[in-house]
Amino acid sequence: MDASSLNSAELQRLISQEKERAMVNEMVAKLTSACWDKCITGTPGSKFSSSESTCLANCAQRYMDMSIIIMKRFQSMQ
Amino acid sequence: MDSFSSPSSGSSSSQFSTEDFMDQLKTQLAQAYAEEFLETVRGKCFEKCITKPGSSLSGSESSCISRCVERYIEATGIISRAMFSASR
Repeated sequence: MDASSLNSAELQRLISQEKERAMVNEMVAKLTSACWDKCITGTPGSKFSSSESTCLANCAQRYMDMSIIIMKRFQSMQ
Repeated sequence: MDSFSSPSSGSSSSQFSTEDFMDQLKTQLAQAYAEEFLETVRGKCFEKCITKPGSSLSGSESSCISRCVERYIEATGIISRAMFSASR
């Protein structure tokens, strides 16, 4: 590959954009996996029950709350 | 990687543009995401639906699998919406 043909500033911007997207994707995948295990205890039905979908949404939001607490906790240790 | 060494932009230009590069990068990333998602769904649905592997896949097992795949996709949507729109 001829690196000189690539505009490096633009490339850097596009790559960091893709990096961010990859992080978001990974986060969604990880949370879906963890919350699926916590909330979907029976065999999957043809529709989510309201308690299952509420559990999934709560699970994702509490995970984010937790992340913030953990981050603050670590920051205060420095 | 082979696809990177041969630009798809045609014979008119031997230069590999940033645009071509990003297009290929995006395609390959999308492929990688899809593969990873598939692998996760296989794991989750095997766990849920094939609790006692028999000599062949039963009808109830295969309908469980298709429900499971649909629910997992739905769950992914619920999670990403909860993460981005409903959070403070």
